[in-house]
Amino acid sequence: MDRGQNSGGLMSSAGLVRYFDSEDSNAIKIDPKTVIATGVMIGVLVQLLTFVA
Amino acid sequence: MGWKEAAEPVLTRMPTVRRPEGHVPFKRKLTWSAGILVLYFFLTNIALLGVQSGGATDLFGQFRSVLAGEQGSILHVGIGPIVTASIVLQLLGGANLLGLDTDDPRDQVLYQGLQKLLVVIMTVLTALPMVFAGDFLPAMQSLSLGGLEFNQTQVQALIFAQIFIGGILLLYMDEVVSKWGVGSGIGLFIIASVSQSLVTGFLRPTQGGFFYNWYQIFTGEIQVGSLVSSDGLMTLLVTDQGGQLIALLTTLLIFGIVVYAESVRVEIPLSHARVKGARGRFPVKLIYASVLPMILVRALQANLQFIGQILAMQGGANGEGPIQLFGQELAWLGTYSNGQPDGGFFYYVAPIYSPRDWMWFTADVGQEAWQVLIRMSIDVVFMVVGGAVFAIFWVETTDMGPEATAKQIQNSGMQIPGFRQNVGVIEKVMERYIPQVTVIGGALVGLLAVWANMLGTIGGVTGTGLLLAVSITYKLYEEIAEEQMMEMHPMMREMFGGGD
Repeated sequence: MDRGQNSGGLMSSAGLVRYFDSEDSNAIKIDPKTVIATGVMIGVLVQLLTFVA
Repeated sequence: MGWKEAAEPVLTRMPTVRRPEGHVPFKRKLTWSAGILVLYFFLTNIALLGVQSGGATDLFGQFRSVLAGEQGSILHVGIGPIVTASIVLQLLGGANLLGLDTDDPRDQVLYQGLQKLLVVIMTVLTALPMVFAGDFLPAMQSLSLGGLEFNQTQVQALIFAQIFIGGILLLYMDEVVSKWGVGSGIGLFIIASVSQSLVTGFLRPTQGGFFYNWYQIFTGEIQVGSLVSSDGLMTLLVTDQGGQLIALLTTLLIFGIVVYAESVRVEIPLSHARVKGARGRFPVKLIYASVLPMILVRALQANLQFIGQILAMQGGANGEGPIQLFGQELAWLGTYSNGQPDGGFFYYVAPIYSPRDWMWFTADVGQEAWQVLIRMSIDVVFMVVGGAVFAIFWVETTDMGPEATAKQIQNSGMQIPGFRQNVGVIEKVMERYIPQVTVIGGALVGLLAVWANMLGTIGGVTGTGLLLAVSITYKLYEEIAEEQMMEMHPMMREMFGGGD
């Protein structure tokens, strides 16, 4: 019971970067899959170029 | 308030990761976090294109395990820029210079935009000197890709582009975890980096690995000598090339202390205003502000050391002897040997990393006892005062202060038995506990970090690294437990406030 009432978002703000619920409709929205795909692609690209060089 | 209107078009257009619509099942959340973690490890293993192999010194040096990333990889800057940007925001927010009200949706958007813009700026500011000043990432003389030829300056630009992209990628990876996964990305990267050093420190099959050293001690390859002599004791207990028993003990103790301190709290009793018998407790934890502010203090020290390192590389000094600026030798500012400060201002403000830095009675320390003592006292004061100050700012900016918590308690319909049901009254009671607990907790964590560094830790993860890793893991565990409870009882979700 007391957990339900109190803990909530209080203690879990363990991020150095804060994100709120509200977002501007102007902002460019990125899909999380895009982030992962970009990361993988950049890694593979750099590795391939290293082999070529 | 002029800056808000001026900056609004830029800040509101910063690209953000899409929010999930509705509830994300717990398993899916875990998958996102795990996916990002795999990507993180993948990227730390991709060596930068165009960097000469060998000979480079890590600008982050001893701060590496706390700031994550990997020397010479795409993630070279690690979370350094994010932490530095956070320091700036904390200081501005804590001193109330921003004029942003984080309850106002429009200001929330501005805050998020500002946060991102600052990280981009800090990534540039961190990456620029790493590539262009000194030998931190020595570029190849020339590089040919396919038919293209790059000269050294172009190769440097190429390296800069890679580590810049790496820094920005980390920012978005953190956002994905924060919005779609469990915990926060930054926390995940710190745990990953610290655990990696810790495991390497135990298992490394070369000189310095804990088990390897002990294997050598048993086979007689490391001569411990007589246990009643100071040399024998030093080898067995302290040195990296010996038994590392004190380091093992410190590492285990920090684990224990953090887990114990997580449960030390002042509990303020609450009861429901209307529902009789519905009782609760509001816990004010000893390490209320968590140990996260500690990373800010350390990063401040780290940034001071970067400036020193960069200065030491200028004017032909190249990391040896006194700092040279405009043709003058500034020994009071710092003298360096092997790229490490051994005198002057930058020596005294350098934190103690390991027993080698302060045990003036051993041959490892070249400084006088009084010099070491000054450095130690500056480190302790910096960490204790810094820990307390940043903990206060942290509590204020993350809405954990008396005013914000009083509002939350009031909104949940609870009251403190024996007091009038009024926000002001609850705030008064909170003011009796939260500031005091915050300051004591912050100072304590600072002291703990210095103490752990002085005695050394396995794998050189540093006291701060260990404190962060253990406490973030503990938080993660709590969060996972909470998630699972909500999965099992969909009713609970409504009590926690509609999904996420």
